[in-house]
Amino acid sequence: MSKFLGFILAVLLAGPAIFAQSAPPVLSGDFQFVGSSNAGALSFQPVFYPVLLVPLGKHWLIESRADLQGFISRENGKTGPYEASFVNSLDYLQVDYIANAHVTFTAGRFLVPFNMFGERYSAAWVRNLLDFPIIYPIGTRTSGSSNGFMLRGVIAAQENWELNYTAYFSALSTIENLQSGRAAGGRMGMFFPHAGFEVGGSYQRFLQNGDYNATGAYFSWEPLPIPLDTRGEFAYSPNGQGYWLEGAYQLSRDRSYTTWSSRLQLVARVQQFFRGKIAPQDFLPAADTNRVDFGLNYYLPHDVRLNGSYGRQYSSTGNFNSWNFQITYHFLFPLLPGGPK
Amino acid sequence: MKIRFVLIGMVLLLGCSGVGAQLAENKSAKAAPAAKSPSSSKSDQGARKFQMNCGRCHKEPEDLSPREARTAIRHMRVRAMLSAEDEQLILKFLAP
Repeated sequence: MSKFLGFILAVLLAGPAIFAQSAPPVLSGDFQFVGSSNAGALSFQPVFYPVLLVPLGKHWLIESRADLQGFISRENGKTGPYEASFVNSLDYLQVDYIANAHVTFTAGRFLVPFNMFGERYSAAWVRNLLDFPIIYPIGTRTSGSSNGFMLRGVIAAQENWELNYTAYFSALSTIENLQSGRAAGGRMGMFFPHAGFEVGGSYQRFLQNGDYNATGAYFSWEPLPIPLDTRGEFAYSPNGQGYWLEGAYQLSRDRSYTTWSSRLQLVARVQQFFRGKIAPQDFLPAADTNRVDFGLNYYLPHDVRLNGSYGRQYSSTGNFNSWNFQITYHFLFPLLPGGPK
Repeated sequence: MKIRFVLIGMVLLLGCSGVGAQLAENKSAKAAPAAKSPSSSKSDQGARKFQMNCGRCHKEPEDLSPREARTAIRHMRVRAMLSAEDEQLILKFLAP
């Protein structure tokens, strides 16, 4: 790890010469403040997700995202003094070599490409609701990230369709903040760009704790002429199975974000989870669980977004309400000055 | 309980498809554009490519300079599996 960070530092120091005429290293990411009430227990979370992008030449990219979170809540849930804790993790730190449209080689730590939520919607400024889907841990054990290598790209494409894939192997890691499971798997998707529709499937073989398979399927549909996003996933493992469906609709026909109605987005998500075999640390609910969420997103200028949502969870272990409010600021700036604007 | 949730899911999807009329209306409106100059045509293509690929997950980032856009688009080439051609078209749209 220290060698890798040293390499990045060397690249940044030699930056002015390397990046004068090309793409500079960029620091991007999100600041977020979250206020939540789950079953009456209040909590507050300041969160910072820095993203570092270092392109090298025409084919290489180093990219990384960390997750730094504070958590402020009462000592006993609903009672007692407020106390604060801090957690951090490295979501990805990977080196990509873009060989061509068909193959990109990736090595390092990367988000597990199981279904689509982790890779596409886990960024704070992208996802419509604060909470990850209940089934997210299926196929992404142990941490949502893998340490190993991955191939990804487009197998074949025509004007009206595209067949894409990822395949990866991950090694076991128990290093703090860099955990990953020993696993292999992949995802394959069929994308119809003019219809804004994608459907695909995922497979993972978890190669520890008694090998087992996880399978999944997903779809997303964003009809281009109207400001509607629909998406959903199904996932199965011996520990449980379930699905989620989500719709988000902007109150204006265009996606310009220039009027109040185009800045306002209504969101709804429904999900069900059916418990299978109980396994330690599978991060899934202990019993069958159903949940509905409704949210409002408002996109302010300069990449600031306000979100508010209400959710109701039903389970034999207890029903409860969940309220979330969050403000997110997305930023991006070059790490080196100069060069042509 | 299961049935109730499946019903809610179906209502959600049907509600989404309820904008079908709007879809059809907008489709006919989209069919109209006539020939444009090569540069505006490229920008239009880039806008369309952005909406098809990047717009599926997020809105267009604001205040992006050409230098920043070049790096951001490299990132998205890996994430969204963009072709080199789409990368250039989207770059022209984001940082003309």
